[in-house]
Amino acid sequence: MNEFLASSRDTWREGAAPARLPRELESIDRSAGPRERLDAWRERHRLRGERARTFFRESRNPERGLPVAHTRPALRFVGRLMRRRPGLFAGVLVFNALAAIAGLVVPRLLGDLVDDATTGRATLDAVDRILLGVAVLVVAQAALTFCARRSAALFGYDMLAHAREEVVDTVLRLPLSRVESASSGDLLTRITSDVNKMSVGVRWAMPHLLTSGVLVVLTLVALFWNSWFLALPILLSIAVLTFAVRGYLRDAGPGYITESGSYSTINSTLTETFEGARTVEALGLGERRRQQLADDIAVSAQAERYTLSLRNILFSFLDIAYQAPQVGVVLLGTWGYSQGWVTIGQITTASIYLQQLVGPMDRLIAVFDQLQVTLAATTRLLGIAEVPDDREPGGAMPAGTQLVGRDLRFAYREGHDVLHGVDLALRPGERLAVVGPSGSGKSTLGRLLAGINRPRTGEVTVGGADVMDLPLDVLRTEVCLVTQEHHVFVGTVRDNVVLAREQDADAAAVREALDAVGALDWVDRLPSGLDTMLGRGRTELTPAQAQQIALARLMVADPHTLVLDEATSLIDPRTARHLEGSMDALLTDRTVVAIAHRLHTAHDADRIAVVIDGRIAEIGSHTELLVADGEYARLWHTWRS
Amino acid sequence: MHDFPPQVDTFAPGARDAPDTRSPNRFLLWMMRVQGDVVLAMVLLQSIWQLPGALSPLLVGRAIDAGVLRNDMLATLGWAGLLLLVIVVAAGAGILSHTLIVRSWLIAGYGTQQRAERKAGRLGHVLSRRVPTGEVLSIASSDADAFGATLEVFARAVSSVVTFAVICAIMLTTSPMLGIVVLVASPLIVAAGAPVLRPLSRAQRDERTQNSELTSRATDIVAGLRILRGIGGEHTFGENYRRQSQRVRGLGVRVGTWQGVVDTVSVLLSGLLLVGIVYLGTHEMAAGRLTVGALISFVGYAIYLVWPLQTMFEFAQKWIAGQVAAQKTTAYLDADEPWLPAEGAVGPAPRLVDEASGVVVEPGLFTAVVSADPDSTAALADRLGRYLPGLAPSAGAEEAPDEDELAASVPFYRRGRVLRDARAARQARRAEVARADAERAARPWGVTADGIDYGALALGELRRRVVVSDTQSMLFAGTLQEAVDPWGAHSRADAESALTTACAEDVFEALPGGWQGRIDEKGRGLSGGQRQRVVLARALLLDPPVLVLVEPTSAVDAHTEARIAERLVAHRRGRTTVVTTASPLLLHRADVVSLVVDGREVARGRHDDLLALPAYRRVVARGMEDEDE
Repeated sequence: MNEFLASSRDTWREGAAPARLPRELESIDRSAGPRERLDAWRERHRLRGERARTFFRESRNPERGLPVAHTRPALRFVGRLMRRRPGLFAGVLVFNALAAIAGLVVPRLLGDLVDDATTGRATLDAVDRILLGVAVLVVAQAALTFCARRSAALFGYDMLAHAREEVVDTVLRLPLSRVESASSGDLLTRITSDVNKMSVGVRWAMPHLLTSGVLVVLTLVALFWNSWFLALPILLSIAVLTFAVRGYLRDAGPGYITESGSYSTINSTLTETFEGARTVEALGLGERRRQQLADDIAVSAQAERYTLSLRNILFSFLDIAYQAPQVGVVLLGTWGYSQGWVTIGQITTASIYLQQLVGPMDRLIAVFDQLQVTLAATTRLLGIAEVPDDREPGGAMPAGTQLVGRDLRFAYREGHDVLHGVDLALRPGERLAVVGPSGSGKSTLGRLLAGINRPRTGEVTVGGADVMDLPLDVLRTEVCLVTQEHHVFVGTVRDNVVLAREQDADAAAVREALDAVGALDWVDRLPSGLDTMLGRGRTELTPAQAQQIALARLMVADPHTLVLDEATSLIDPRTARHLEGSMDALLTDRTVVAIAHRLHTAHDADRIAVVIDGRIAEIGSHTELLVADGEYARLWHTWRS
Repeated sequence: MHDFPPQVDTFAPGARDAPDTRSPNRFLLWMMRVQGDVVLAMVLLQSIWQLPGALSPLLVGRAIDAGVLRNDMLATLGWAGLLLLVIVVAAGAGILSHTLIVRSWLIAGYGTQQRAERKAGRLGHVLSRRVPTGEVLSIASSDADAFGATLEVFARAVSSVVTFAVICAIMLTTSPMLGIVVLVASPLIVAAGAPVLRPLSRAQRDERTQNSELTSRATDIVAGLRILRGIGGEHTFGENYRRQSQRVRGLGVRVGTWQGVVDTVSVLLSGLLLVGIVYLGTHEMAAGRLTVGALISFVGYAIYLVWPLQTMFEFAQKWIAGQVAAQKTTAYLDADEPWLPAEGAVGPAPRLVDEASGVVVEPGLFTAVVSADPDSTAALADRLGRYLPGLAPSAGAEEAPDEDELAASVPFYRRGRVLRDARAARQARRAEVARADAERAARPWGVTADGIDYGALALGELRRRVVVSDTQSMLFAGTLQEAVDPWGAHSRADAESALTTACAEDVFEALPGGWQGRIDEKGRGLSGGQRQRVVLARALLLDPPVLVLVEPTSAVDAHTEARIAERLVAHRRGRTTVVTTASPLLLHRADVVSLVVDGREVARGRHDDLLALPAYRRVVARGMEDEDE
């Protein structure tokens, strides 16, 4: 209590919450002169940039959650994906190049025609024949465009499918201790939103990078080939563009990540307000929720203003860089024509090329923008693979079924042990209830016994072998941790039950397990029996049926020891009566450790262990503990009074 | 001029910006009126920004005719200077117009979010009886965005019409024949793309549906990952995911292929148009009716014109999307709370009587209500707090089949009708609930405070006097201090005392940073028991005259429950408390216990006395009979 009070004083905040935005960003002095206002805008832009970079850094290195990979492995990953189908990749490049070349020859020929017509060198008939040739070329260009697009689609979607399947495989290899700890929110975000971001990148940005990249390069080549003299203005544009785009891309990444982060914040605030509408009404929190949204929007508006300024700076360069070469071509053209260096046809061709360059250049910039987002998403996805494994399967196999824990200590945070040297030997076939106040370490003890976490000191052995050195598929058939979750997967009934022995169990084994828990009757009545698809939007099960499926899974796994956490929650009280038989079938002939909240569960057990402050305070049968007149006895009497 | 973030006072008393919800189109127009100055300026600047597109082919052509061909450097300089001027003016207008686009987009977006939030604030718990929360959320996210997009495309479309008109005028005055060819051909080119757009959009829809199925497979794997890693099944579900992923890949290639067809058609037609113009142009030139410069201008226009035309098609599509969004939004903004205005005052320590069950809540006492059916005590708590009951899942969630899925399930010619019918049926169901609510609110409520029916009392005051903390009570994201004291109005000593009473010290200790430790949205990351105890501490800190707690310790272990029971009674001494529970640990401490069977109170007294009743023992002492009998 004293410790609680001391740190309470230190961490309690008196007065209003600190403002979420610095004051400089909130107030704008509209009466100042243009010079002062420009300076003030520069200062605000700098501040916003700093905020964006800070947010970006923090989002890349989260305090909690899964790790994030570095950029280099992400690039290597993309490179590896691209090399997977070298033939297809080459096809994409070749078709795009050919389509681009065809598209570039057309304006060149048209320019020549204009020359011929101007100078009257060729007859109209000859001109018409050439035009017919041009028309054929246009058709060829169209056909090549189709091949280019289709090969890009084949290539892009293949890469994407492979990438996401690899990510899911990684998720399915995550260490058990990691899976069991804390929330799945981070993983969920990665596997949905980051995979989507990567999809857009791979599906849209990669093909466009190839298509537009090839087109821009070849158009530039064609411009010079047409007339190097008339191509000079574009060189200046390219220099300006490189400068402006590089600056933009450097700042835009953090800018857009901050922006989308600010929208996630708005969305969570709104989700809470809508879903918690009753709580807001009951506790009179309306004004506060409104203020919270206003604050979130104010922060988001600053992020929007930052990227707006970045885009405006970029666009001012782009507009000039795209259009100014036209002026240059006219000016140089006049001079060059008078000197006899260029023809009208060349001027025409150059002018068309310049117009044709705008589209692909724009797309290329958008592609670079998108690729940054893709890369950031990829680093987060690859980060999943960087979770270290804490299990090194050794050669020792269990000889026997006795589970023994010796000198178990464990800490979630360094220096804060939640278990202080627990010794516990289970008697095969017994039912042991573990009770104790919340935070006493009883759930942790269950996780160590089930081989989920490696204890800091001591070891848990089954038949003499350390549980942390057993391969997972062996461990599962020895001891299983059962929590209150009874998730029904999207898949057939068989898929949902066969889990632990998916490699070798046949339909008979599945049916036997379903029969044992009393589920075979209703499964056989399903439209396709064992092959009926379950899960959201398909055949939906009642809570009792879902629980029977969960029990059948364990029957298939057939471990000799079960650790039941919050055993009462596994069975919803409303369906409890109905499921008693199923549960009994599962528990018969097995060693059971039940981490109990409710005392009547404990009362039925062979032995009861009372865990207090990370130690087993007392252990024995119900009667023995009542005689001992300790913690358990006191609680029992309160309960019964 | 209006700027973002917008000042929204919709739904406030005397608000000026009451939305026009009479029809989707009126609502979209209202959206524009709210920021009329921005939209007008946006249209103007967009038109100026498009000038180089409209004028530069003309100016380049003139420069060639007047300057280049005649070797007249001065004339070239003049035309080139004009071109440069147009470019610079347009670049300036481009920046301003982009700024305005973002501004109007965000005024519409942030504004919609704030209006949706205000409405939720007014509806309170009735919200979930009007619209599923998922739909409100999509109004505040995707629809809010759709309005921005609608305004943007509107401005672009108007300026495209202007540009198109300017180009027409230029072309027709230069060469009527060529002008007419370009004018007729370019809309045809855009229209020719339409037939291939239909299979493309069908392919896109299929891909979207299967892709969201793929995402839900991935979510499914993550949601059940504990089971997959704990018990097994990685191979089966990894393989299921791979199969679906390959299906999506196939559909994606189909989308890509149709996209390729669309691009191919566009390349083919615009290329052929170019050839046609040059063909006609060279013949006109040979006949002396056209200059070289004019021909070059026409080539330029033939390339450029596709763009404003595409914008107009885009406008048609996006305006429809805007109407759909407007329809959803107006339906929500029109929803109303059913309460009739009432002025009656609530006393500082009211005596509450529930007529339906006969339960009486005496002021200053700790009353426990126990029933074999937890739903009936939860309903009692709702009545005591004057809350309409939550909808049964079948009626409330009304998981209307996804429109994409519905559309995919019928042939295309029946699609519009099916979707309309589904929407109408949904609206009728909702209207039915709203009507029933209004009827319920018009009748006497059936609970009295000091003898006055709730229906005659001012709702705001009642909410301050009688606070119900039910099992659905939500924790909001923020610091632990904000979770316990969301009002920011209580002292540290009071907060410590509330936290101690709720036995939630372990939450304080587990969070790095103590009071400033972060709690995630909806209290995710805390265990069920921890969440329940923080919610309890919050209700205790509010310290209302009447506090109704529904199953406050259902997720807490027996040790902790015993401690909470002892502290809770001491903490609330002197004020009115109602607890619904079946736990003997809590019942044992209550001043009065009321046993409710089939919705009616059948016995009332102290726990120890009631234990003599078999009916009471059956509910309370579950799992203990065996020993006694």
